[in-house]
Amino acid sequence: MLLEASGLTKSFGGVTAIADLDFGVPEGLVYAVIGPNGAGKTTLFNIISGIYRPDEGRLNFAGQDLIGRATHRIARLGMSRTFQNLQIFFNMSVLENVMVGCHARARTGLAGALLRLPRMRREEEEIRQWAGEALDFCDLGGLKDRQASELPYGALKRLEIARALAARPRLLLMDEPAAGLNDTETLEMRGLIGRIRDQGITILLVEHNMGLVMRVSDRILVLDYGSRLAEGTPAEVRANPRVVAAYLGGEVHYAVE
Amino acid sequence: MKRLRGWWLLAAVLAALPLIFPGNYYVIVVGASAGLFAILAVGLNLLMGYAGQISLGHAAFFGLGAYASAILTTRLGWHPWLALVAGLVVTGLIAYLIARPVLRLKGHYLAMATLGFGIIVHILLVQTGGLTGGPDGIGGIPPLSLFGWAIDSDERWYGVIVAALLLVVLLALNLVDSRTGRALRALHGSEVAAGLMGIDTAAAKTSVFVLAALTAGLAGSLFAHQQAFVSPDSFNFFVSIELVTMVVLGGMASTYGAILGALILTFLPELLVVFEDYEVLIFGAILMLIMIFLPQGIVGGLKDLWRAARRRPGKGSQDAA
Repeated sequence: MLLEASGLTKSFGGVTAIADLDFGVPEGLVYAVIGPNGAGKTTLFNIISGIYRPDEGRLNFAGQDLIGRATHRIARLGMSRTFQNLQIFFNMSVLENVMVGCHARARTGLAGALLRLPRMRREEEEIRQWAGEALDFCDLGGLKDRQASELPYGALKRLEIARALAARPRLLLMDEPAAGLNDTETLEMRGLIGRIRDQGITILLVEHNMGLVMRVSDRILVLDYGSRLAEGTPAEVRANPRVVAAYLGGEVHYAVE
Repeated sequence: MKRLRGWWLLAAVLAALPLIFPGNYYVIVVGASAGLFAILAVGLNLLMGYAGQISLGHAAFFGLGAYASAILTTRLGWHPWLALVAGLVVTGLIAYLIARPVLRLKGHYLAMATLGFGIIVHILLVQTGGLTGGPDGIGGIPPLSLFGWAIDSDERWYGVIVAALLLVVLLALNLVDSRTGRALRALHGSEVAAGLMGIDTAAAKTSVFVLAALTAGLAGSLFAHQQAFVSPDSFNFFVSIELVTMVVLGGMASTYGAILGALILTFLPELLVVFEDYEVLIFGAILMLIMIFLPQGIVGGLKDLWRAARRRPGKGSQDAA
């Protein structure tokens, strides 16, 4: 397992967001986490990426204990993520946004930057190239010199992915990549997720669009009130009576278009 | 060389001005004073404009540098250059010590904490009379000398301050366009995302805070030797506010904007002297108008106009992408 959680618990002032949760993400797969609003999906992401510290439980990534590690140290272990509410650096250009993604792959420090030593300039060229590749991968190559603030919503979603990929992660956390996208863009996003998986990058996905989840995921974890309702392949989850019961009322249909 | 075109232009203009207007009071005297404030503003802009961390106590570091030079040279008889270096070490160390606890705060709380720091330093300068001379300050500070030349005329001071400014500007331009500089700007854009991209945000804030303080300390040491006299009033709360205004007025996150802000805020009061009693009123009105119509600051506003103008003709096809 690339990522393994056991007994994970987190509450906020008496409200339990995650309750004694166990799951494991095998390397190389697309692993989706679904559940109704308030089921604890984003809380789970924030625990995994180190923004929240869980009250109890263990969390391992690539053999390293994650509990208590600062976010930047977790990122340097090879984990990257995107956000449900965009966290773009709107004060920078598109290319620079993605160059920030390369931060942990480069090493020039303050002195090298101030004096602009030859080694630093070579590294800048490398960073520029890595960032360009990530942008091309996400079909953003033509927009690289724009200010991030000038981009439409759909492109910003891909920009976050490009920035996360520029870190060359082993695990990519995607928080609702299709939220707010139209049908065409959602289809493109599905293709992009597939291409990322083909690169050998493990994906942990939170998504409300069930059509997308059912098609791209290898395994699905269903959360309800912060605990595990079901886990398995899309077919298993779809046939699980507890899942069907939890979703009764028709909020979500598994109909595949 | 394209990257440094603005820097070469700045260097050429600053070198040419005293040749075109020899002995001119506004160029040589007011210009040198504006140069010192430009050094301060460029440093503060790294912290405020790029990293997005406000400081309402920046004049304290200006004062620490100035008093370190004043005390070490007059009371202990140190060599001025040695005193300058020691002043930088002291300023940097104090900045480093307060950076971690203070920069954990955000927004209004950070503003209050830095404001408090500025006031504390000012009170210490006034109250520790035995060391600092109290409200009367310290006089008789010896001039700097360079390769055996005493820097003792207005023209020579203009040269020294311009050289220091060009050095600081060059370092600032280098920093902004680097991995560290991008980390600082990312911090401003989204601190959460910056952390998740592997940036140690606490360390990045600390280093830019120390760097801004060092720049202020350098300006302080030069100021002490140039004036040959220091007193606490040169480093009080209002100076801190003026520095912030320079950065905001010129345009946050623009090194040249910070210089422009320093120029305007130094020259405007000089030019408005003819209006006598209305000087402060007109000064305030100009600042308000600029902030209302150019909220991005002067350079930021011009950049937006430039981008809009360039977009309109013929380049529309890219928008479809």
